Amino acid sequence: MYHDDDLGKSIMRGKALGAVIHVERLSFRYPGSTCDALRELSLDIEKGSLFGLLGPNGSGKTTLISLLMGLLTPGSGCIDIAQEGVSTRAALVPQDNAFYDCLSVLENLHFFAGVQGIRQSERIAAVIDTADLGAFRHTRAQRLSGGLKRRLNLAIGLLGEPHLLFLDEPTVGIDPQSRHFILEAIKRINAAGTTVVYSSHYMEEVQALCDEVGILDRGRFLARGNLHTLLGGDRGGQLSMGLDRAPDPALREALSHLAQCSDKQLKQLFALLSGTDVSVDRVRYGHADLEALFMHLTGHQLRD
Amino acid sequence: MRASLHLIKKEILLLMRDWHALVLLFVMPAAFILIMSLALQNRFSAQSGVHIGYYLLNRDTGAVDVALLKGLRAMHGFRALPTTASQRELEAQVRGGKPRFVLIVPPGFGESLASDTPVPLRIMATPDVFPAVYRLFQSSVREVLAKVYLKQALNALARQSKGELPSGSIDMDRVNKLLVSQSLYSPGGKGRFPSSVQQNVPAWLLFAMFFIAIPLSTTWVREREQGTYMRLRSMGLGMPTLLFGKLVPYIGLNLLQVISMLLIGVFVVPWFGGNTLTLGHSWPALILMAAVASFAAVAYALLVANLVTTSEQATIFTGVANLLMAALGGIMVPRFVMPQTLQAVSHYSPMAWGLDGFLDVFLRDGGVSMVAGSALKLFAFGGACLVMTGLYMGWRRGKH
Repeated sequence: MYHDDDLGKSIMRGKALGAVIHVERLSFRYPGSTCDALRELSLDIEKGSLFGLLGPNGSGKTTLISLLMGLLTPGSGCIDIAQEGVSTRAALVPQDNAFYDCLSVLENLHFFAGVQGIRQSERIAAVIDTADLGAFRHTRAQRLSGGLKRRLNLAIGLLGEPHLLFLDEPTVGIDPQSRHFILEAIKRINAAGTTVVYSSHYMEEVQALCDEVGILDRGRFLARGNLHTLLGGDRGGQLSMGLDRAPDPALREALSHLAQCSDKQLKQLFALLSGTDVSVDRVRYGHADLEALFMHLTGHQLRD
Repeated sequence: MRASLHLIKKEILLLMRDWHALVLLFVMPAAFILIMSLALQNRFSAQSGVHIGYYLLNRDTGAVDVALLKGLRAMHGFRALPTTASQRELEAQVRGGKPRFVLIVPPGFGESLASDTPVPLRIMATPDVFPAVYRLFQSSVREVLAKVYLKQALNALARQSKGELPSGSIDMDRVNKLLVSQSLYSPGGKGRFPSSVQQNVPAWLLFAMFFIAIPLSTTWVREREQGTYMRLRSMGLGMPTLLFGKLVPYIGLNLLQVISMLLIGVFVVPWFGGNTLTLGHSWPALILMAAVASFAAVAYALLVANLVTTSEQATIFTGVANLLMAALGGIMVPRFVMPQTLQAVSHYSPMAWGLDGFLDVFLRDGGVSMVAGSALKLFAFGGACLVMTGLYMGWRRGKH
C-alpha cells in the first residue's frame, strides 16, 4: 500500500485537524463469512472535501459506507463522524433507486421528509429545485426515466440538508446529459460546504470531481490521498515525453518500433531525434489517468 | 411516533395503489369462504338432509319385502334410486362413481331371515367413498334390517305363544323415542345442531388470515432489494419503528379481511342457498380473537419476511408452511380424528389455538373469559415472532 505521506502521518497520530470522518483500524466481517470484508482500515476525510472511493466489485466500498452510516456494526476499530465535537448530519444516496415506485415524486419526498421530522414544504421545494424535478412532482416514480429516477434518488438524500453526503454510484445506467446534470449538482452541493464521499466505477467522473481518492481492494486501501499526488506515481508510474511537432512518416515508423524496445535502447531514441528538427519539449512521469492507476493497482484479472 | 405515522400512511398508500394485490387479498379469501361453506354444506349434515343416491336392486318378492323396502326408502340421508339395470351393469356404474352404492336384496332374502342360513343383503361401494360415509350407510341399512328382523321374530314368537305376546301392539319406532340427543350449540337454539357453515367458517377464516404472510413478506423483500429499507435505516429509523410501521397497517388489512369474510358467511352464503353464519353472542370475544389472530399472523409474516432472501422463497415458504400449520392445527382434518401423537403435537400449532378460540365464540357461545387462554397463546406467539425478528435483524446487522 502507498499513500499520501501527510495524510498517512495524520492518521497515525489520531484524528486529523478538520477531519469530518475519522476511521481507525476498522475491521468488519459479515455474519457467516469466513473472510473480512474490511481489514484494519484507517481513513480521514477533511471537512468540505469531495472524496472519491474507488474499488472493484466486492472490494468493500458499500460495506465501508454502510459502516460509516451506522447501518452495520464494526467488528473492531473505531469510527468518528463529527465536526469539532458536534455530531454531523449525514445522508446516504444508495446505488439502487431506493424509493417507492407506486408513489409520486412529491409523495416520496413528503414521506422521506416526514420520517426524518423535516419541515416539509420549504425543504421539499429546495430539493426539487436542486434536482430539477419540478415538472414531475405528480408523476409516479415508476413512470420516470432512468435519469429522473437517479435525480429523485439524489433529491431524497438531500432532504436533511446533510453536512456529509455518501453517494454510492449515483450515475449508474443513465445518459450523458443526466450524468452531467448530476455531476454538476454534486459540485454545487460540495461548493456549498457539504463533504461528499463519492463511490463509483467511473474513473473519469472521480478524476473530474474529486480532490482526494481512496482505492479499495479486498477490504484494504491500496492507495489513498491527494489525486494529483497519486497520479504522480511514486511507485510504478509511466515516463512519457512530448514532442514539439508531429514527426515525419519515417521518424514515426522508427519510433513505433522503439515503443516496444527495452530501456537499453533509449540512446537509440535520442540519436533518432537528434538527427531531425523534432525536439522533446516536455517529459512527464506518473499515471496518464486514474483508470491507469486503478488498473495498475488492482490488476487486470476479473473479479466477478 | 411521527415517523411511525408516516410509515403507516405510506404503507396504506402503497396497498391502495396496488389494487390488483388488494383485490386478490379480499376476493380470494371471500371466494374461499363461500366455496368451502357451500361445498361442505351437506357433509355429515344431521339436519339438512344429505341425499347420497344409491341403487336399490330388489330381486326378492317375499312378504318381508314391503317392510324392508319401506325402511330402506326412509333411511335418513340416503336416497334409493329406481333402476331396471342388471347387477353387472350396476356394478360397473358404481365402480365409476355414479352412484356411490348399490344395495342388492337377493332372491329369497325374506324367507331366509328366520333360517339358520340367511341370504345376506349385499352392499357394493364406489372406491372413492369416504370410510365414514360408507360406515354411515352400512349402519343405516343394519338399523332397518334389525327392525325388520326383530318384528318378524316377534311375530313368530307371538304366533307360537298363541296370543300371549301382543305382537300387533309392538311399536318398533318407539326405539327412537327412547333416545333424545341434543347439541349444546347455543346460538342456534336448544337441541339444534350447528350448520357445517358454522362449524367450518372459523377454520377457513383463520387459514385465510395467515395468508397475509405472502404479500407482507414479498413487499418487505422488495424494499430490502430496492434499498429503501437501508435508506430508512440510514435516516435513523430503528428496527422497532420499522416493524411497527408494517405491523399496524397489515393488522388493519387483516382485520378488514376478517370482516369481509364474516360478512360473506352472514349474507352471501345464504344467498347461494347455504346456511347463515351466526357470529356468536360475544362481540368482545370475537374482536379479541380476531385481533390476536391478526397480530400473530402479521408478526409471523414479519419473521418469514426477514428469514427469506427472495420473493420466490417468501411465496413458496409461506404457502407450504401455512398448509402444514393448517393440517397440524385441525383446519383440514379435525384434531379428534388424528392419531394421539399428532394430537399432542397439534397443541403447539398457532392455528390450533386460533381455531379453539374461534370455535369457542362461534359454537360454544364463549365470552372473553372462555377465549382468554387461546388469545394469550396467540399473543405470546406473535410476541415471540417479533422478538425473533428483532434478534435476527440485529444479527444480520453484524451484532453477534
